[in-house]
Amino acid sequence: MHSRVLLWSALGLALLLVMPWLLLQALPQNQAQFWTANILGRGIVFGIIAMSLTFLATYGGFISLAQMMVAGVAGYTLAIFVDGAVPRIAGGLGYGLAIPLAILAATVMGLIVGAIAVRTRDIYLLMITLALAMGIFRFIETNIAWFNGYEGIRNVVGPDVFGFDFRNAYVFYYIALGTAGALYFGVLYLVRTPFGLVLQGIRDNPRRVAALGYAVGPHRIAAFGVAGFIAGCGGVLATIYNIGISPGSIGLGATVNVLIMSVIGGLGHPIGAFVGSLVFTFFDTFSASIYDRERFNTLIGVVFLVIVLLSPDGLLGAGARLRKMLGGRDAP
Amino acid sequence: MTIPAIHLAGVSRRFGALHAVRDVSFDVAAGERRAVLGPNGAGKTTLFNTICGDFPPTAGRIEFFGADITAAKPHHRTRMGIGRTYQTSLLFNGLSVLDNLFIAVRGLRPNRFSFLRPGRDDSGMQKARELAERMRLSHLLDSEVINLSHGQRRQLEVGMALAGDPRLLMLDEPAAGLSPGDRPELLRLLRELPRSLTLILIEHDMDIALPAADIVTVMKDGEVVVEATPDRIESDPVVQAIYLGGGH
Repeated sequence: MHSRVLLWSALGLALLLVMPWLLLQALPQNQAQFWTANILGRGIVFGIIAMSLTFLATYGGFISLAQMMVAGVAGYTLAIFVDGAVPRIAGGLGYGLAIPLAILAATVMGLIVGAIAVRTRDIYLLMITLALAMGIFRFIETNIAWFNGYEGIRNVVGPDVFGFDFRNAYVFYYIALGTAGALYFGVLYLVRTPFGLVLQGIRDNPRRVAALGYAVGPHRIAAFGVAGFIAGCGGVLATIYNIGISPGSIGLGATVNVLIMSVIGGLGHPIGAFVGSLVFTFFDTFSASIYDRERFNTLIGVVFLVIVLLSPDGLLGAGARLRKMLGGRDAP
Repeated sequence: MTIPAIHLAGVSRRFGALHAVRDVSFDVAAGERRAVLGPNGAGKTTLFNTICGDFPPTAGRIEFFGADITAAKPHHRTRMGIGRTYQTSLLFNGLSVLDNLFIAVRGLRPNRFSFLRPGRDDSGMQKARELAERMRLSHLLDSEVINLSHGQRRQLEVGMALAGDPRLLMLDEPAAGLSPGDRPELLRLLRELPRSLTLILIEHDMDIALPAADIVTVMKDGEVVVEATPDRIESDPVVQAIYLGGGH
């Protein structure tokens, strides 16, 4: 089964690698660029943040609603410390230092969330992570000195990468894809290590894990740290994509959007996060023109309801059932 | 004087108004096989859980080879050499038999918290395979545990409890739910355990418990009511009263 997952993942990655070229063949250049950066690129970036949620959910059994906030911690750290951001809060660092610092901050925030929520499960975990996310959101929104309050911090344009401008649609897309691919395959590797196996043991039976000699609490906290690292990578890319960050990008709406992406894709495997985020990004972008500018959220809501009603385990589950119906073997 | 493997002194456990274990005191010698019998609700599993640390006692003292473990956390007790199984199999259903055994093996090694994938010749993996062979599960190494039969799950439970080479093995009703065909296999497993291992066994089935035990402790209403050798236990009037309802 594992090799089949790797094969499908490699095929998906290969398709995404050639998508910009395929789009250029099918569409005018400006539209191809729009699809590359604003649909695929944005979808992949939010897929990274959603994967931080599905990593915890799939392998640990923990649904954390704090992941968008953790991504925001990375975004704000980058915006606060990088040179060129407006207004200048601290500054003084180039992207080469500010980006690792931002990812480190998100990892530490992930560890803090994990430590605070270490004794909770299920609905209580959901509530405590949501409370933490909303607490940080309100703190940032009302703090002018460090976070510029409601307006947020702008002009985080991103670095030059080997002489290429990050604002170029294709440069952004391939950096996002490369980061997502590295994190995705990193997660697949991690879950087969002793750490990942024990995490799955905690999901299935934390009492037995303790009876085998493991300290369950620190293991759980470390898993939240890993998820924080993943969310931090997504947060940095999302902040550069948006040329800055404001409290709205880590508010309740954004938090729920990440959950919706994860559920649409399916919590059974990390790839579900990317499937869900791409579908979500498509409808988020085009629902105003498909349906009605005033009621585009209705269309997103209906799509979400239809997917969840027809397939409680998301599009991944629907795909697996379809393959079974067609006489294939189990889903990857 | 030799130090007992387990020394219980006035151990009690309350759950609110319920006094599940009352003032239990006994010693289990190193290498001894001890069976704990009693009707449902006698407090056997609660006593097990106080020894393993799942529920610390509300009163009394527990020593393991002379070390006070009354307040030790479950994973510390495991690292000191206490292995256990559960009345209802507590396995990792989403993982394979090999992964379950590997987690069990790694739990007592210093590199238990590792972010590096083990190779095929990893000593932990090799030991997991050996345990599978010993538990007659080698043909199911890659099977997900959720697909195992009840008997196979019980065998895996014992294998996982043995993974850390415990000094004390505690088996909570290992024969519960086993078909008559699976029972001889369990008895064989129990007989093959090394004599250096101390064993405490909760069991309803006298056919399993008595041949495996050196000493039998009988509990009722949270208290120890009889402690005797297996040949005397079946004829004991108190035991007969408990199991057959005589004398009431």
